[in-house]
Amino acid sequence: MKKAIIILGFICAIVAVIISVTPLYNLAFAPIIVAFLSGLFLIYLSKNESSKPKTIQYIFLLVIISLSLTIYKGVVNTAEVGDTEQLEQRDEENLEDSKEILEDLEIDEDF
Amino acid sequence: MKPLIVLFIFLFSLQSNAQNTTIAAGEKLVFSASYNMSGLLTDIAEVKMETSEVTTSKSTLLRLKCTATSYKDWDDFFKIRDLYESYVNPKTLTPYLYKRDINEGGYYKFMQYKYKHSSKLVSSLKRKKNSDDTFREENKTVKIGASTKDIISTLYSIRNLDIHKAKPGDQQEFSILFDNKEIILIVKYISKETIQTKIGSKECYKLAIALKDHNLLKGDNSNLLWLTADANKIPVYAKFKIPIGNGELNILSATGLKN
Repeated sequence: MKKAIIILGFICAIVAVIISVTPLYNLAFAPIIVAFLSGLFLIYLSKNESSKPKTIQYIFLLVIISLSLTIYKGVVNTAEVGDTEQLEQRDEENLEDSKEILEDLEIDEDF
Repeated sequence: MKPLIVLFIFLFSLQSNAQNTTIAAGEKLVFSASYNMSGLLTDIAEVKMETSEVTTSKSTLLRLKCTATSYKDWDDFFKIRDLYESYVNPKTLTPYLYKRDINEGGYYKFMQYKYKHSSKLVSSLKRKKNSDDTFREENKTVKIGASTKDIISTLYSIRNLDIHKAKPGDQQEFSILFDNKEIILIVKYISKETIQTKIGSKECYKLAIALKDHNLLKGDNSNLLWLTADANKIPVYAKFKIPIGNGELNILSATGLKN
């Protein structure tokens, strides 16, 4: 049982760190919560033991790193449009082509 | 019986007021599209709706252009560069030419409709990219209804509805040609609501949008559109629910308005 919680918490903490460095950082909240709860549960399971396993510290450390990254990105990141040169080119090409088509098209202003 | 009479009056009033009183050339609306990810809304793309005048030797038309561009952070994952345009009669918003030029995550598609309203026919051209970077084209002639439009001119036509005359629950159907198939879009007026937007607090008409007999936009009031309750009827906020999730569209700026 304890081993399973350790593995789950550790995997979730690593996944949270990985996701938090990508643009999908908003998705990191789910593994952060799971890893955090696993860490708390591990503390509860090992409260009678004199020495707590090191993995708990690692899980919390990874949770703190991913949470900090996620919050930082959420606050600092501003939505910015990428390179639109190709789109603008397609736009101009389409406009020129459309003008030619419209010249040949039967335009009935009654409709 | 009474609701039927009200609906009939509403529909009649809409049909008789098909003149464009809302949209002028030079209008530019900018939106931010967000998608719900594990309970949090994430901005993924910028959507622009622009209008301009196009003059040919025979007439002057209104060009309705919509572009969708994914934000920089998303470009490596799923790059969106979509362009939709419709050339319409500036008085009635009847389309003459429609183009859809989309590039989504490497998937490219081009659709073009040339309308022949007198014969109720559309010459359609579909262009797709093959795996070896060559293109394949498909020409088709599609029979359409008298009031069938494309998706862009329909979006602008919704803004031209006389919503101030409508009662909550009244609805209007629009016939749209999409991917060479006619689909029915149902727009239902729900209520008036005041909402906070990036361009200030606005009193809005809340409309529910659904596609008839279609899974994409279901008719359970889960796809909503807020249009300002003024002469411009600007779409300021939209909520949508599709089979792969849900999201929102928020206005960022509105310039060049007619009224």
